[in-house]
Amino acid sequence: MKITRDEARRIAELAHLEFDDAALERLAAEMTKILTYIDQLREVEGSTDKSVGATPLREDVARPGIAREAVERNAPSWRDGHFVVPKVIE
Amino acid sequence: MNVAESLDAIHRLNPKLNAFLNVKADAVGIPIAVKDNIVTTDMPTTCGSRILRGFVSPYDATVITRLRRAGRAIVGKTNLDEFAMGSSTEHSAFGPTRNPWDTSRVAGGSSGGSAAAVAARMVPAALGSETGGSVRQPAAFCGVVGLKPTYGRVSRSGLVAFASSLDQIGIVTKTVRECAEVLGIIAGHDPLDSTSSNEKVDEYTADVDAGVKGLRFGVVREAVERLEGDVRANFDDALRVLRASGATVEDASVPTIGYAIAIYYIVANAEASANLARFDGVRYGHRSARAKTVHEMYFASRGEGFGAEVKRRIMLGTFALSSGYYDAYYGRAQAVRARLREDFAAAFQRFDFLLTPTTPEVAFKIGAKTEDPLSMYLSDIFTAPANLVGIPAIAIPSGFSREGLPLSLQIMAPHFGERALFRAAGFFEGETGYWRQMPTECRMQNAE
Repeated sequence: MKITRDEARRIAELAHLEFDDAALERLAAEMTKILTYIDQLREVEGSTDKSVGATPLREDVARPGIAREAVERNAPSWRDGHFVVPKVIE
Repeated sequence: MNVAESLDAIHRLNPKLNAFLNVKADAVGIPIAVKDNIVTTDMPTTCGSRILRGFVSPYDATVITRLRRAGRAIVGKTNLDEFAMGSSTEHSAFGPTRNPWDTSRVAGGSSGGSAAAVAARMVPAALGSETGGSVRQPAAFCGVVGLKPTYGRVSRSGLVAFASSLDQIGIVTKTVRECAEVLGIIAGHDPLDSTSSNEKVDEYTADVDAGVKGLRFGVVREAVERLEGDVRANFDDALRVLRASGATVEDASVPTIGYAIAIYYIVANAEASANLARFDGVRYGHRSARAKTVHEMYFASRGEGFGAEVKRRIMLGTFALSSGYYDAYYGRAQAVRARLREDFAAAFQRFDFLLTPTTPEVAFKIGAKTEDPLSMYLSDIFTAPANLVGIPAIAIPSGFSREGLPLSLQIMAPHFGERALFRAAGFFEGETGYWRQMPTECRMQNAE
């Protein structure tokens, strides 16, 4: 599988990652090499067995959460009990 | 070893090895170190990343609570590849951990700090985490015991998530008995982790000295047929030790084992790309100062905060899950993973244990693989299968290469077969006793 620089740019947009052109070029080459190795999966017959148990679910009841002050201590920006972020809409 | 002795050893050796990122001087109890992707309220948790700079968890991981209740003292947090993504601890934002047997070489990874700390006698035990071999591979490179328990055996509440269908907390110790003791403390169901199992916690130390007479060991043919040099000779020696004990040692077949790394780098990265979406500069960790809008904030914070390997894996995972490629990559990888699971189940019909070397080579030189991600990934070729299948596996020291570097035998068992695993590993350790040898770095320090 060949990844072009434009394809790498599209994936970076989806992944919310910032790269300059040189880094994208390098990444595209590395991803191509790794995906070429991974392409060997095409030569083997898979299984359709889905018998692996699903994760057990718990009762959906309210439980004590994390104290607001403890959350605030790690927040990059915080005011009046809320996270503050830059403008969302122009 | 008490806390004062442990802290003294850390103080002397850590400047050379860089195994610890944080040390806590007032801990009380039997010392243990914890990989720095397991959260603690009394020390920062960095995950080896700039993006978590300054982060202190508001709660303790379940394993931390259980260790403290059992009288263990958390003396520090150990170095790792950023977010546990790597096989050498060179991808830590805080510099590589060095191998106590040869400081020009890597300690392995991603739990390189934990393995080096135990090997250098800074602590008798350490927790690590496993996604594709991150406890066993560094344990092999550093000449110590490394266990990956069955998926679901140990609660992951408070382990920073990497790949949720694979992650499991593991243990590094000098001896098998110590490993079994620590598993007895941390194993068991936890209401805070719904993937933790209700399966009964076993008497893990009960059979450590029981011997292996009559037990059946299978040698995974497809994994060992291309072994060479010291790794080959050492593996053959290990088989002779088991054969001489009255165990049966025969060829086993796991036809799809060679696809493990290809499956792994789709499944693990796909899950990682979702798990690491939470690091966005909003709630904790690094936020870029140059962003004007919230959209720019996501891109800039992640761009500045994550290292190259983490970004590479998020990119691969995002690709594998993206529209048009999902079936061809993620779907395909899951189908081959199911096939691998069937192949292992069939092999365990005939055998109690399956054997391979833990790693295809000894610890490599620092810098040797950083420019070639694929060759780094192939370090985990023998360890990743157990994660994909969910079974327990142990790495046990099996001797030394001609240049004096540790080699390691891997023993795998069926799901929840930890007690049997400690029996087999305990026997091998008793017959060989390699754990008694001290790494170069400690011998030099002790002589000074």
